[in-house]
Amino acid sequence: MCARSSLYSNPKPCKHLSDYKLRCVSNGFKDLQKFIKAGSNGRARVDKDNTEVPRCSFCNGYRGRLFMCLICSSVSCSSHVGLHTQSENGHDIAVDIERAELYCCLCGDQVYDSEFDGIVVSGRVKDLPMDKNGGFEGVEGRSIKRRKLDSKLDPGINDDLKKARLLMSSRDQRQKSCYPLGLRGLNNLGSTCFMNSVLQALLHAPPFSNYFLNDRHNHDQCPIKSGGKPCLLCEIDTISSAMLSGDHTPYSPARLLYSWWQHSTSLASYEEKDAHEFFISLLNGIHENSEEGRARDDSKDKGDCQCIAHRAFSGLLRSDVMCITCGFTSTTDEPCFDISLNMPTSSFSFKGIANKAVKPNEQIGLSTLSGCLELYTRPERLGSDQKFCCQNCQGTGSSLKQMSIKRLPLVLCLHIKRVEHSPSSKRFLKNDQYLQFPFSLDMTAYLSSSIVRKRFENRIFAFECHNSDSSAAYEIFAVVSHFGKFDSGHYVTYLRIKNQWYKCDDPWISEVDEETVRASKSYMLFYVQKRLFNIPRVSPRRDPLASGSK
Amino acid sequence: MELQDLQESVNIKMIQSGEKERLKDLLRERLAECGWEDEMRALCRGFMRNKVTNSVKLDDLINEITPKGKETVPDNVKAELLQRIRSFIAYAV
Repeated sequence: MCARSSLYSNPKPCKHLSDYKLRCVSNGFKDLQKFIKAGSNGRARVDKDNTEVPRCSFCNGYRGRLFMCLICSSVSCSSHVGLHTQSENGHDIAVDIERAELYCCLCGDQVYDSEFDGIVVSGRVKDLPMDKNGGFEGVEGRSIKRRKLDSKLDPGINDDLKKARLLMSSRDQRQKSCYPLGLRGLNNLGSTCFMNSVLQALLHAPPFSNYFLNDRHNHDQCPIKSGGKPCLLCEIDTISSAMLSGDHTPYSPARLLYSWWQHSTSLASYEEKDAHEFFISLLNGIHENSEEGRARDDSKDKGDCQCIAHRAFSGLLRSDVMCITCGFTSTTDEPCFDISLNMPTSSFSFKGIANKAVKPNEQIGLSTLSGCLELYTRPERLGSDQKFCCQNCQGTGSSLKQMSIKRLPLVLCLHIKRVEHSPSSKRFLKNDQYLQFPFSLDMTAYLSSSIVRKRFENRIFAFECHNSDSSAAYEIFAVVSHFGKFDSGHYVTYLRIKNQWYKCDDPWISEVDEETVRASKSYMLFYVQKRLFNIPRVSPRRDPLASGSK
Repeated sequence: MELQDLQESVNIKMIQSGEKERLKDLLRERLAECGWEDEMRALCRGFMRNKVTNSVKLDDLINEITPKGKETVPDNVKAELLQRIRSFIAYAV
């Protein structure tokens, strides 16, 4: 045995071991293989005779370490092992019965041989086909030798390994360190839950978070920052790093708050804000601070801007207005960061939106997301009081307006409008109705191509090319919910990571089940295109509400 | 003489029934939990570091460390094992 030196090298065989090997070629070791058994803890041991207890041939002792001669299989205890080799010439090498380790009786020390190790490994594997903890992983001599050397110096290493593995696999829900990387609470800096909730959702949006993960915004080269002004991208980059640092103590996004105030001075106060308003304002700010946004001419269409805010969230909404009189349709496309949806069952009737045919079951009280989307893309008759003048026939009759989605974004944010103005009581009230939403969403039915097709049915019409790829399939990854009244409430975010939902309530992170998320008053639903969503290998539970067959 | 015979027969019975192996595993676990193993490991390293020659014989190490190890086994571990042995004798012998 050598003391461990900085340059590890395999121990050389002693003279006696080399002699033995030359004499017996490899028969000596091979014969042993059938006697290698696995002990109770998985360690290899030599078991020649299953029933009898091995005893020293000199003193009949059975205690302590017992050695079996490789040549004649006679057993000696540690005190008498020298005697055996004295009485029998050439019987120098023995094996420790309990540990299956080689021992040189003349040197009085442990010796190593890679071939022997291989025999032990294969013998043990034969005996114990299922690899329990700490099992030898390969027949490769060197690795086994090192492990055997280690287990001599560190007798408890197998137990340590076992414990470590148990610790990692045990799911103690209260242990924050078991939570996935990137999950970290955000401190409330004074009614800033609106900001925290949106940040949690944003930082877990795949294309958005990847941008910062890949270090695409460089602090040092940021011209805004070097100019002394606050840069929203730099601040978000800082927060993103903080979230991924592995530190699970709650983080205070004070600098982002300050930078955002500087950016949207009208909203700079400690009052409770609307999360959706913050979301839009933040994305606009990111656009303005970004390299691509600054280079852009403001008057040009922002839809195809390549800044991260637009690349991730920007979609194209199409508005078709058809003149009832002549049938001419004028189409306008507008970029958007999200889609704001009205809930189908609202207690108040709106005076501005006339004559909507609402399905009977939606009035009963069950609102669904698909219902909201259908409502959004429903053809809406604009009365003649709407100042409309047809381009084609110059008529000012009524028209039919229909919204549809021309281009879907990578990350789809659906904003559920829960605040309503009650004309009767002249107050703003919150619609706290439960909204049913699927975890897997298919937006095909709401694409412009589908809507147009539906509108014209079987007419042969010059359609635009409809992308037939599966980019209309989405998976939900975050839900921002609002609890409480309109002007005094609280936002929390539910995040879906690897098929487990987590609740992010300012600094407190906890695991929650699906039902909790579904029952919450969802305010903003964040979906990402399925191809960007990391779906775990295990197939998730079937979602009964997955809308796909509309 | 009789005591020795008794000891031997108990020991043999333990080995044959597999109880000895189980007791050894239990002992290993308890000693690892209470840090005894780590202490021994440190002792071994210390011993080898202080050796003038580069190589240390296994036998020498064992002879050096064993008495220290036996001394430092915590009482509660001893008690637990004794209890197990007593139950074994009462039940199986």
